[in-house]
Amino acid sequence: MDGRVSISELEKVYGEGAERTKAIEDLTFEVDGGEFASVVGPSGCGKSTLLYLIAGFLDVTSGTISVDGNPIQGPGTDRGVVFQNYALFPWRTVFENVTYGLEEDGVPKEERQSIAQQYIDMVDLSGFEEKYPKELSGGMKQRVALARTLAYEPKILLMDEPFGALDQPLRESLQDQLLDIWGDLEKTVVFITHDVEEAVYLSERVMIMTRHPGTKKTVSEINLDRSGSREEIVTSDAFADYKNTVWKSLHEETQTEVTL
Amino acid sequence: MGYATSRHIEGLPAPLQRVAGALVDWIPLAIVVVLWDLISGAVVATAILPAPGTVAGKIVELFVTGQVFSHLYISLFRVVVGLGLSIIAGILLGIGMARSDPVENFFDVFLAMTYPIPKTALVPLAILWLGVGTSTAILIVFLACLLPIVLNSYNAAGNVDQNLIWSAEMMGTEGRDVLLKVIFPATIPEILTGIRQAVPIAFVALVSAELIASNQGMGYLILTSGQIGNYPRMFANIVVISAVAFVAVRLFEEVRERWLVWT
Repeated sequence: MDGRVSISELEKVYGEGAERTKAIEDLTFEVDGGEFASVVGPSGCGKSTLLYLIAGFLDVTSGTISVDGNPIQGPGTDRGVVFQNYALFPWRTVFENVTYGLEEDGVPKEERQSIAQQYIDMVDLSGFEEKYPKELSGGMKQRVALARTLAYEPKILLMDEPFGALDQPLRESLQDQLLDIWGDLEKTVVFITHDVEEAVYLSERVMIMTRHPGTKKTVSEINLDRSGSREEIVTSDAFADYKNTVWKSLHEETQTEVTL
Repeated sequence: MGYATSRHIEGLPAPLQRVAGALVDWIPLAIVVVLWDLISGAVVATAILPAPGTVAGKIVELFVTGQVFSHLYISLFRVVVGLGLSIIAGILLGIGMARSDPVENFFDVFLAMTYPIPKTALVPLAILWLGVGTSTAILIVFLACLLPIVLNSYNAAGNVDQNLIWSAEMMGTEGRDVLLKVIFPATIPEILTGIRQAVPIAFVALVSAELIASNQGMGYLILTSGQIGNYPRMFANIVVISAVAFVAVRLFEEVRERWLVWT
């Protein structure tokens, strides 16, 4: 399937001379097309930097990042980013936010409107088309941001702690909504979080990063039976085992952080 | 209206609230007029401080005889053109400086140098270049209004959320389009704040320029009325231009509020 992200011997250095800091070192990782992969790590481990490198917002210092075999060159519509702070255009209504990418792509107006409506419905925001972002709650804003990103149909979703600013019940409902959408649309998802439970619940694989400079520490395959309800999943023994494994690996890193 | 007064008014029935609110807004002005009336003729001679009633009569006369209109038009024309030019130049300069290092380096020193100069002090120089008249008045209005607009748009354009820019770039917006489709709209609230600061400054600059370098306009009327010793007429013209400036500010605030439904 399309949407494969290949990261090879990646290195990212910020600044020069005495200011020089290595954010990411020798990181090799592959996300299959259609896979849901999470990245967890202690704060400052470079996980957001990794996402911005994949997005093409930052330039790599050395190594390569490719999408379906083609090295990325800056931002592009094959990928879509969802930020923690939503990054909606405040001067545009919900509807106008969702049509932005289609406008830029030159999609004719009528088609634009039907596509936008389809994705607004998908995130359960019909009736809010003419609202401005300031009139929406955090959860609704994040759903608009998701619809805006989905509307121009990128193969890959890059999500930077998208639910980190939301309270627990809201976060859970958005997680389930994201899983439904992922199941329906067959997107590749690279999901950055510091929440172990969130990573295990959502992902097929979780990469744990070391602390400073960040690199791949371990990768956990998560083979959960996701046919049941959230309650059945999160109370299962398998879920607890995966969570413990990831937590222990992450905890070793946060321990080093404390002793430093 | 202050917070304390607004709390008292909230206790009233809704239709009365508007009326009461409007009255409260005008109380300070009413007090000034009453004091003015008491002082005129009692503490200060009416010859140099005519009573408000006399001035009001002169204002009516100015409008009935129509002698104020040509001056008011030319003054408004100068304000609109000067302010309009400063808005265009201010936005371009402010956003340009915020988003381009060469532009910033080039203009930064000029801004720093011209900031402390009262723009009205440049009137004699402007007369030398442009002569007495409309061009000089427009130039002074333009220069006086430019700084608040530049500074507000410069600060705002430099602080646009990077994630907004990245989001647009991800969706295919490139190069100059980022300025037009993201930076500019994101900066509009602060640009309007800058213009709000510039509107009263425009009238200050206008009258100052017209007092020195014009044969027309409200500033000219004020000066000539004073020179021939017609102080009621001088006061009447001052009140007229103040009222016009006040209405201009209020109108602009109304427009801004409607425009910024999204903030």
